[in-house]
Amino acid sequence: MSLDSSFDPRTSASPEPAADDRLAFSPEELLSDPVVEEPLIANGVRCHGGFDSDGRYRSPRTLHRTPAIRAWQARLRSAGHELLHVDPALIPPQSPNAEQAVLLAREGVRDPIVRALTIISIVEGFGAIIRDVRVPDLGQCIVEPVEGTALAHLSGGLFEAHARDEAGHRDQGGHKQMWEAARDLAFENPRIPPDVLMRMMGRRPGRRGGERRFPEIDEDLERMLAIMAQVLVVEIFAESTFEWGKSVLSDPRVSAEPEAAGRMVSHIQSDERPHVEYLRTALSEVRARTLRRVDGGSMDGREVVDGLLHRILLQLTRQRVEEQRKEMRADLAEAVKRAGCGPSLMEEFDALDQPWAPPASTGFEAAADSAREPAEAS
Amino acid sequence: MKLVTRLRRSVRIARTGSWLWCLYKVPAFFRRLTGRPEADLAPTHARAARSILACALDLRGVVIKTCQAIATRADVFPPEYVDTLKQCHDAVPPQPFDVIRGAVESELGKPLDAVFAEFDREPIAAASLAQVHRARLNDGREVAVKVQYPDIESIVRTDLANMRRACAVYEYFDPQPIELLPLLAELTAHLEMELDFRREADCADRVREIFAEHGGVVVPEIHREWSTRRVLTMERVGGIKITEVEALRAAGLDPAEIVQDLMQIFVRMILAAGFFQADPHPGNLFVERDGRIVLLDYGLSKELPEGFGMGLFELMFSMMTLNEAAMIRAFQELGFETKTGEPETFVLLARRMMRRSDTGRFEGEFTEEMTGELFDAIRENPVVSVPSDFVLVGRAFSLLSGIAHTLGHRANVLEAMGASTG
Repeated sequence: MSLDSSFDPRTSASPEPAADDRLAFSPEELLSDPVVEEPLIANGVRCHGGFDSDGRYRSPRTLHRTPAIRAWQARLRSAGHELLHVDPALIPPQSPNAEQAVLLAREGVRDPIVRALTIISIVEGFGAIIRDVRVPDLGQCIVEPVEGTALAHLSGGLFEAHARDEAGHRDQGGHKQMWEAARDLAFENPRIPPDVLMRMMGRRPGRRGGERRFPEIDEDLERMLAIMAQVLVVEIFAESTFEWGKSVLSDPRVSAEPEAAGRMVSHIQSDERPHVEYLRTALSEVRARTLRRVDGGSMDGREVVDGLLHRILLQLTRQRVEEQRKEMRADLAEAVKRAGCGPSLMEEFDALDQPWAPPASTGFEAAADSAREPAEAS
Repeated sequence: MKLVTRLRRSVRIARTGSWLWCLYKVPAFFRRLTGRPEADLAPTHARAARSILACALDLRGVVIKTCQAIATRADVFPPEYVDTLKQCHDAVPPQPFDVIRGAVESELGKPLDAVFAEFDREPIAAASLAQVHRARLNDGREVAVKVQYPDIESIVRTDLANMRRACAVYEYFDPQPIELLPLLAELTAHLEMELDFRREADCADRVREIFAEHGGVVVPEIHREWSTRRVLTMERVGGIKITEVEALRAAGLDPAEIVQDLMQIFVRMILAAGFFQADPHPGNLFVERDGRIVLLDYGLSKELPEGFGMGLFELMFSMMTLNEAAMIRAFQELGFETKTGEPETFVLLARRMMRRSDTGRFEGEFTEEMTGELFDAIRENPVVSVPSDFVLVGRAFSLLSGIAHTLGHRANVLEAMGASTG
């Protein structure tokens, strides 16, 4: 089925199909791979994706997914709605930064870097839980129709493709295995610090589900939107992780396979782009629509999406960044001591620090104001 | 131990061993003689298990302990053994109070009332090696006192030697024996640890240390000044039994949160810290009114080898994502072996396990049905040997799964990890 790209969801109830712009795809299509001549094999592990006849890397499951996302975005724009945008200035830098990481690795303090890369791989793998997100009956929760949108395809291939990209599927590794391969290539199959999982789980008990922010809408819808907003922000912030990874792992002073390891991170980076794009498209589609309240009334989708994004951005750019820096400093002091390096290393390390402060605004305050968080916004 | 007692125990074990031998071998001999086909062994297994149970209840001590160990090794023993010998968990009658009083006084080197203002005559629990009494110290602190049965160490030594001989005879004569001697060696090592209560105290301290900054777990304090190798005096902690759903709700506690906390606690110990209390049955788990989980009994605590947690995580993860190449790597990293070196066997094992889950997929929970299926597959297919750590962890997760289901929820290991990282 195809839909008129000028369709405005708020004013039109029955969209007219157009012949040249497909907006509906089967799950099989969204999961189908482009043709590759040569599979991607990373440190002996068969991974997804591969290389076409020109030797260019082709991301997995993008044969129809990429044009589909493009078409949904075009439709949204042509209806006069912008795609939501997260200011790149909000992306916190990696800690330790690339120069600091290289310094540590050169001085033989490799555990913090190996640990960080291992945690990145595990967190990437956990991205697969997106396939278990329950998608409610959107026709019941949203006033305007959703046919021919990214939203309509979340449980019809988009979440599954995302999950497979992150964790791998059947005989193919995903980003989890690709990060591991990059780490193992660069540091020659290093010993994994035994405390990785403990560090990853933190020292405190995990947070509980928490209170609902928008109890006036369907609970499953709110949970789904909250997870999508969280994953979107994490995916956008991962840009700095990719740059950091490429910079460290392709540095010949510390990497045994600078080209192969750096390239692996680039492949992951290009695989992640469809994730950012489908998530921001679907969330933008919600912003452009009206949500049904459980009491029979309605509310602006923008209020919910922006409220969620504002809260997540505040949390990830304020509290979490500071917490991570403190944890990193504590870990580092220990690792430096274990490696038998003197205090001069820490001085040199500190000299390479680049202070960072988040911008005052998340860019989502306006709608979030009515989403009952004025105190946090200040 | 008196010579006559030692002889009696040796004769009883030898008699049971001979009876088992006849039970299996005589019909097999006649079948071969008359050319009759192989019979279904289930009824013979059931009879044999009942004989072993009777012997255990008669001799108690290490024989009961052995039966308990057999009941946890569904990967080695037929289901009839596992089901029958499970009864040993609840079938231990207590020792008279005078015996216990003598043991405590001898260990602490003081009369009972020099240490305790009160000491209940009836135990609150009795097990194969020791029993537990409620008491109050002279300074007013409420305690639980675990007292090892007098002479149990000597009984253990005698019984283990008898069983070792019986197993050696069995393995010598049977052309395709179940490898019992390694299991017995493992049991011997565990018993040595369990018989030293100072080690149990150390284990409790170690678990407390793991949760030092966590705040959601209660590990009873050990009163070292009133503890020895054979007497363990610890803080008495209470709470609601973890499977008492209605009592939990009445106290304003949410069973969903309790399951989440419980899983995080065990995931933290097993996957992250590599050291865990390996016996999370409902009798060892309580919930305080503020929601903290009380963890009792550190006799069976286990140090896992370096990399085990990561290996287990990788196995679960590869099963969740159906990544067969990663599954094979993870099985191998955990120490599984195939005698033929054929890695496909691992994939078949995982597939069988997943088929027994509610959804046909592995979503992070090791249910009792799934671990049972894994052990059935291993027992049926003798090309695979399974590391004992995995058996212990599998058993712990299936016990937790049972508790979670009683509370109306799932014991999802990966979710517990994710919740912690989220």
